Amino acid sequence: MIEVNGLVKRFDGFTALDGATLSVPAGSVYGLVGPNGAGKSTLIRHLTGIFRQDAGTVRIGGENIWENAALKARIAAIPDDWYYFLQSSIRDMMRFYRGFYPDFSMERYEKLKEVFQLDEKRPIRRLSKGMQKQAAFWLALCCMPDYLILDEPVDGLDPVMRRQVWSLVLADVAQRGTTVLVSSHNLRELEDVCDHVGIMDHGKVLLERSLAQLQDNMVKLQVVFPDGVTEVPADLPVLHASRIGRIHTLIMRMNAQEAEDLLAAYSPLLVDAVPLTLEEIFIYELGGADYAVKDIVL
Amino acid sequence: MQSKTSCFNGTLFRKNLTRFWPLWGLAAFIGALFPLSVLLDMAHRGWHTYTAPEFTQMYYEVVSAVPVISLVYAALCAMAVWSYLYNARSVGLMHTLPIRREGLFLTNFLSGFAMTLIPYAVTGLLCVIVSLCGGAFDARGLAVTVLAVLGESFFYFSSATFVCFITGNAFAMPALYALLHFLAVLLDWLISSFAQGFIFGFSTNYTGAVEWLSPTVYLAHNIQPLGTYEEVTQAYASGTYTEHVLTSVELENFWLVGVYALAGLALAALALVLYRSRRSETAGDVVAVGWLRPVFRYGVAGLCALLGGQLLYSLFWYGFQTGSYYDTLPMVVCLLVAGTIGYYGASMLLAKSLKVFRGSWKGLLAVLAGCVLVCCVLHFDLLGVADRVPEASQIRSVDIRVSDNSYTFTPEQDADLVEQVRALHQAVAAEEAYIRETEAAGYTSSMDESPDNSHTGLSITYTLKSGAKVDRWYFLPITRDRMAQPGTYDHLLDQFVNSEAMKARRLHLDDGFWTVAGGSLFLSIRDQYYDLGSREASAILEAVGRDMEAGNWGTYDWFASDNGGDYALELSLNFDGPDGEGHDYITVVVCPAMTETAQCLKRLGLASDEDLVTYRELYPQDYPQDDEDTAYYGAQSGNGTAEVYGASGGVAVSPL
Repeated sequence: MIEVNGLVKRFDGFTALDGATLSVPAGSVYGLVGPNGAGKSTLIRHLTGIFRQDAGTVRIGGENIWENAALKARIAAIPDDWYYFLQSSIRDMMRFYRGFYPDFSMERYEKLKEVFQLDEKRPIRRLSKGMQKQAAFWLALCCMPDYLILDEPVDGLDPVMRRQVWSLVLADVAQRGTTVLVSSHNLRELEDVCDHVGIMDHGKVLLERSLAQLQDNMVKLQVVFPDGVTEVPADLPVLHASRIGRIHTLIMRMNAQEAEDLLAAYSPLLVDAVPLTLEEIFIYELGGADYAVKDIVL
Repeated sequence: MQSKTSCFNGTLFRKNLTRFWPLWGLAAFIGALFPLSVLLDMAHRGWHTYTAPEFTQMYYEVVSAVPVISLVYAALCAMAVWSYLYNARSVGLMHTLPIRREGLFLTNFLSGFAMTLIPYAVTGLLCVIVSLCGGAFDARGLAVTVLAVLGESFFYFSSATFVCFITGNAFAMPALYALLHFLAVLLDWLISSFAQGFIFGFSTNYTGAVEWLSPTVYLAHNIQPLGTYEEVTQAYASGTYTEHVLTSVELENFWLVGVYALAGLALAALALVLYRSRRSETAGDVVAVGWLRPVFRYGVAGLCALLGGQLLYSLFWYGFQTGSYYDTLPMVVCLLVAGTIGYYGASMLLAKSLKVFRGSWKGLLAVLAGCVLVCCVLHFDLLGVADRVPEASQIRSVDIRVSDNSYTFTPEQDADLVEQVRALHQAVAAEEAYIRETEAAGYTSSMDESPDNSHTGLSITYTLKSGAKVDRWYFLPITRDRMAQPGTYDHLLDQFVNSEAMKARRLHLDDGFWTVAGGSLFLSIRDQYYDLGSREASAILEAVGRDMEAGNWGTYDWFASDNGGDYALELSLNFDGPDGEGHDYITVVVCPAMTETAQCLKRLGLASDEDLVTYRELYPQDYPQDDEDTAYYGAQSGNGTAEVYGASGGVAVSPL
């Protein structure tokens, strides 16, 4: 389990993390989403022991991560800009990782060679961005981590390789109980793999739920009001409303039953609950946090 | 099984060595050239060309060169192994690895130090092989060399490591490293030269008091091979010759290596402390340690003010300067401008932004106030430097240069002369206002035109028992009127320089320290030059001494002008100190009244009557022939007591 409590981090007076709190259940795949500059990468650098917090706690498996070599040996991380030594090949980097991670599996390394099909003797700097990302996954998975922390992990991978990588990660989750925290802007993809989601903004985690709870917490309704009612009643707690013909599409922060009960007072001709995508949840949650999509006419 | 998360990681150690092999490989190659050149020399000249002490001397010469070599090379090695700290991506990788910072530090430190030592090890090994080939292996010399190289390299690598942890920027590291190693001597020079421009008589360009804080300069000065030589007479086909044979070599001040190695240990420990608290996000910052940021900001501002202020002054105001001291107001303006540039420059480097003007004006005010304060302290001499005359009880020795001569006095042997120097110094200091006013009025040009006015330089250096030095230099206006008035410095100067004791001093007669060793004579009329042997020089010296006793030599005429009344020859006598240590020389201007000296030159066959002509006789076109001038010339040379003599002090023993 990964637990972050009241995490604060300031850079030269700028507060990057402002009391962030999150909890990643053991064996789950946790998607961390948020707008650019929300503090996701900063939070991840705390989880991997790169940054030291100004306040708050970062505990993984019940232990503080800072300068905890034994704990770090159970964590593998893939940053958005993976670093490798300039002249090194994948094989060189494998030897390097193997020298640090006690559980590094050569057996898995050999197996994954067939999956990734990269020239392990070629200097990494000569590989494409997507191939470098594959190399990072290859080595990270060979470390046999209990915790896998990924920052924009599939950025640059082709769709087939994305599917391949996720299947490997999810297999680890299923077979070894690996806990995965993944930060990404690709919400459609996260929706497919995550069972928990946290939304960050302005250095705080605004909310975190299981995906099911999240979808249950917000509802999208298609409503047709009786004749004479052309506008959405002002007293309805609507996050967002749009209209095509007589059909109003309403987004409300409540579950479907509560919304239908509320709308019943206006005797609608039609009320139909439609499931929200993670992207919609993200947009409307952040809309409430002053990060709405603005209608700008250029 | 060894834990992979311990304090040392072999993989990282090997990785560093393999990643940076071009660095140590090239250095090892260059180092190997030295023993190989010796080997080739031996193959050419014979395998037993060099003796064991000569090999040892070669080792020690390497040791004495280590400070300069390692200053650069150790810094390169440190930059290589700590380069990951300067990049956010690399620092991310290294700090994600399952190893504590102590482990990273130890592993990187050892690998970097190994890289520092490899070239020396290669060179040393080849030196051993070469000396074995020559059958002249000196185990003790080798052991001393190994220890010295280890100690010096350790110090330099540790100091470079320390600097690497102060900064987070690869470009700032060499600059800060150079600053750390040369800041002490730079500040010494800057402050001394700045104070010299304000304080009356202050003449210290560089005190050397804190040179030990600039290890490269200090070690290069102090750690040298010290050979002992023996005179050996060798026979050859038609006679014998004497040669000096090296019998043993010691490494002078070897213990200093141990002191600096300990300092290196302290710096390494400090670097570890800094690493433990270092924030990874400081990658790219010029200064990575929070509390050092204001030190850097104000330090750079101060340094820029001192250095840039003097530069601006010399560029824009030096031509308008009145007198030999700074004009205070223009210098204050220059300091303020340079200090402002330095302050904002440092602020921009720290903020990594050009937009620093709005939020930092308070700090700028502090810098500007500091500049004004420093100028006030120096201008008004609030520390009383100008008036300071050391007590006799504090003085170990006094070196004085006056009337073209230099002398060294010690209170034990020359108590009266030391007191006279102190009295003269006090009189000069008391008349600062008069001297400055006269100087500001431009006395040098007006006085040169008058036979009753002149000027002279006076330099006094007190070496105190504490080891400190007090250096003063004055350019003094002197007049005949004041010279006749007791209590003026003009009078004291004349009484001092023209005393019998000082006359004898000029010739080193019976001082038991200097021995006449030779000299030279140049006759203008023949355009001929002679080297004088010690016996000839000694005879001439005795003749000059007799002229001195007769009153024909040795009285310094403060107001003499070059009227061409001296003989057209140049006579110099050289002196050696005890055991050949130290050298001095005097130049004797011979005038027609010095009959003993002239006779001696003739007796030795060095000059004839035809050679003893005056410059005026030889070059009449160069000297005015009007009556007034002739009368003045006659007054100068006719009384037999106003002869001009000249002598110049050496430098080896008397530090002046």
